[in-house]
Amino acid sequence: MSNIKIKSKNLNVYYGDKQALFDVNLDLNEKEVTALIGPSGCGKSTFIRCINRMNDVIDICKVTGNIEMDGMNINDKDLDVVSLRERVGMVFQKPNPFPKSIYDNISYGPKIHGKGETKSELDQIVENSLKKSALWEEVKDRLDEPGTSLSGGQQQRLCIARAISVNPEVILMDEPCSALDPIATAKIEELIDELKKTYTIVIVTHSMAQAVRVSQKTGFFHLGKLIEVGKTEKIFKNPDNKMTQDYITGRFG
Amino acid sequence: MSNEHTVKSYEEELQFLKDSLIKMGSLTESQLSDAMDAVIKVDKDSIDKIIKSDEEINKFRSKIDTQIMNLLVKRAPMAIDLRETISSLKISQDLERIGDLSKSNAKKVKPLPLDLPDELLGNLKRLGELVMKQLNDVLDSYVNKNFDKAKEVWEKDEQVDDLTYIAMKSVIDFLSKDKKNLDFSTHLIFATKNLERAGDHITNIAETVCYLVKGEYLKGSRPKGKVIQE
Repeated sequence: MSNIKIKSKNLNVYYGDKQALFDVNLDLNEKEVTALIGPSGCGKSTFIRCINRMNDVIDICKVTGNIEMDGMNINDKDLDVVSLRERVGMVFQKPNPFPKSIYDNISYGPKIHGKGETKSELDQIVENSLKKSALWEEVKDRLDEPGTSLSGGQQQRLCIARAISVNPEVILMDEPCSALDPIATAKIEELIDELKKTYTIVIVTHSMAQAVRVSQKTGFFHLGKLIEVGKTEKIFKNPDNKMTQDYITGRFG
Repeated sequence: MSNEHTVKSYEEELQFLKDSLIKMGSLTESQLSDAMDAVIKVDKDSIDKIIKSDEEINKFRSKIDTQIMNLLVKRAPMAIDLRETISSLKISQDLERIGDLSKSNAKKVKPLPLDLPDELLGNLKRLGELVMKQLNDVLDSYVNKNFDKAKEVWEKDEQVDDLTYIAMKSVIDFLSKDKKNLDFSTHLIFATKNLERAGDHITNIAETVCYLVKGEYLKGSRPKGKVIQE
């Protein structure tokens, strides 16, 4: 049985008057990939944004209920959000490298978090992060070129390298492959398989096939509610809930 | 009942697959029944027709294979659709094998003498009728997605085994009375065994239907009659 890394209990999120999440109880296992699926606007992205307090940047957003990482209350108002985000990295739908060199894209995080004080330490972090994100061989001779000069798939792996450069424990991925071609997608999926040995990963995806391929656990959201969560294999072969079945088989109406 | 797919053509393709399987099932039923009649009545005129109908069944099998390949490639079916697709593949294989066994039985009619005693054929007839009923019931359970009925068929295979034992015994008794009966008796033994094997394929189908409906395999080992146990 895996350890629970993140635990949410009766988690509610409101954007002004509109409630976006309703009493979500969801446990994420350590060093496992959890896929979150559901139609647009169902709350899956809202949920993962609770894990690194990204919702803080939205003024009208209010979060109630409990969400914990290793027993620590993530919603604690005294919590240092910067150090939380050091522990919980995030990768977005569209690759968003900084308008800086490949090297600087990766060294930026460690620098502001006070890691890698000397040049050689930073070099090591950059190399390790790029190796872990399976990009090193492709960029090792052009580290001073802009990150934006890379292809879309490479940029996304650069963003993953940037996320892991500060040695996080959890990586949140919000549709990380939706802007990528099948080969670049396959590379990211291969990478996720490798990364899960070290990190706890949560991936939001609209691709059922991707959820089946990369995750061990799947949660289905609909209209802000977690409808069903279980082993990925079970969810896609024989879900308990009719709504889950209707969604994954393309019968939603 | 499930809602319809958002993509209409997907819905149609799945329905088309189910229709093909049902048609294949009903052809297999007629062929099995015709082959049984041919053996019991020693009707040599119907042999060719039965062999021909096996070609039809085989054609259905390849047609269904193609439909399944297309569905897998185009739709990557999930959950109930995945189970429906994979079940069709398995059921069509079993139906095709039942067809082969019926064809084999039809071929066994040729060397049979026309004056076989009633008590010899009586047991074979009872076995044939039971296997027919089993096939009919299992196809019904598929059409109506009826788990209980499929499970009933699965359990009833025990009776098929027992009747096989009785039919075999009556042929062997007959054979031991006069060694001149050896030649055609062997054919009758094979015909009996073929019916028992058809029963096993029907049991496979019953298991597949149970999986299709509930998404879980039946637990425990298959019921076995005397023939297997001895």
